Amino acid sequence: MGLTKKIVTWARIKSPWIIHFNTGACNACDIEIIAALTPRYDLERFGVLLKGTPRHADILVCSGPVTRQIEDRLIRIYEQMAEPKFVIAVGSCACSGGVCAGCYNVKGGINSTIPVSAYIPGCPASPKAIIDGAVKLLTSLKG
Amino acid sequence: MIHSLFLLLIFPGFIFLSIFGTYAEFVDRKLYARLQNRMGPPWFQPLADFIKLLAKEDVVPECAVPGIFRIMPIFALAATTTAFCYVPVWSTHSLYPFSGDVIVVLYLLTIPTITFFLGGWYSTSLFARIGSVRGITQLFAYEVPLFMSILAAALLANTWSLTDITLFYSRHPSYTFFNIIGFAVSILALIGKLEKTPFDIPEAETEIVAGSFTEYSGRLFAFFRLTIDIEMVVGAALLSAVFLPFGLTLGPIVGFILFIIKVLFIVGLLALIRTIVARLRIDQMINFCWKFMAPLALLQIIINLILKGVL
Ligand code: SF4
Repeated sequence: MGLTKKIVTWARIKSPWIIHFNTGACNACDIEIIAALTPRYDLERFGVLLKGTPRHADILVCSGPVTRQIEDRLIRIYEQMAEPKFVIAVGSCACSGGVCAGCYNVKGGINSTIPVSAYIPGCPASPKAIIDGAVKLLTSLKG
Repeated sequence: MIHSLFLLLIFPGFIFLSIFGTYAEFVDRKLYARLQNRMGPPWFQPLADFIKLLAKEDVVPECAVPGIFRIMPIFALAATTTAFCYVPVWSTHSLYPFSGDVIVVLYLLTIPTITFFLGGWYSTSLFARIGSVRGITQLFAYEVPLFMSILAAALLANTWSLTDITLFYSRHPSYTFFNIIGFAVSILALIGKLEKTPFDIPEAETEIVAGSFTEYSGRLFAFFRLTIDIEMVVGAALLSAVFLPFGLTLGPIVGFILFIIKVLFIVGLLALIRTIVARLRIDQMINFCWKFMAPLALLQIIINLILKGVL
């Protein structure tokens, strides 16, 4: 790896900006994601910032199964993000469809629509699990 | 020639300003975090953000006007860096002083807001347009008190050159205490200029996504962020030159250390205000500026006029 590439990878690991998107969750996973961002867990230690627009974000944090209504919007938000981009699926529903799998209005997990880089199971996934998953994703960038 | 290039590009020009600006951003974020009782980001955080943004893809929206969209961050960066040439750093002399440079500095510091407006407007995103219009609306509210309070200090010194203002106040340090109202008003106005809480209405991320910067990504957004950091340093340097001109005659090294301390003090004040207050609505902000800040700045001018007669 060249020096420039090393510096860029270091910067990418140290500064993951996220955007949170609810694709149809029951809201419990969303609350856990918000809890992970509060001063108690203080994700800014790792450089994580919550951004409002997909253009600034590096990581799309999705919660919930992909419903038929949200599908187009999810694809649009994913395409609005600038490369390189990653997707984290938070919660059992986001991983596989979970309890909602097979529902008439549900397409499946996040990976039925867009590529996913990290899966964090749990119903809902706890803030510590979310932080652990995010850190594992970031360390996998090193190799 | 080489000497001027060194002054402009390396020290105390662009490179020094970028490093100090990113450091000031770190101090701001760390203080903000500590005041909220959390750890806060590590010291290299702004640097990592900057490098990461440089390495990201630049997305230019299809219906944006690409020329203006791309050139605006460069304009903003150039304007703020130029403004620093006329602000005294380690002595009472700025790099290229001339009479009337205080006006030039104030106008150069207005340019970033205009570029945010143009960049946001021509990105043709609805959120960016709302943010841009809010930014311009806000500009009319804080700019007048800022000009009045800084020019009030200039009035007492009887000159419109920053170099002469600092020279006057370092000769008569006790006179600076008469300018305390002007200092308070211009700190508040500086918050509006930097679009920080409580005056972060143009970028209110809970309402309008990211304001003017909604469509910016990658390198262009990195330059905008760097502009805001440098603007923070230049604005704080301007205020410290006009309102805190202590120790400027003690030689370059002591003066330089004092300069860093003064700028970080003002940055700390901004972080403190950012922690204790919440965002205002745009109409509340304008009311506040015109009902309280402008009359206070006017009072400062009257005080200085009377002082001029008495002293
Ligand atoms: S995983 Fe559980 S908590 Fe999360 S959205 Fe699905 S049902 Fe709700």
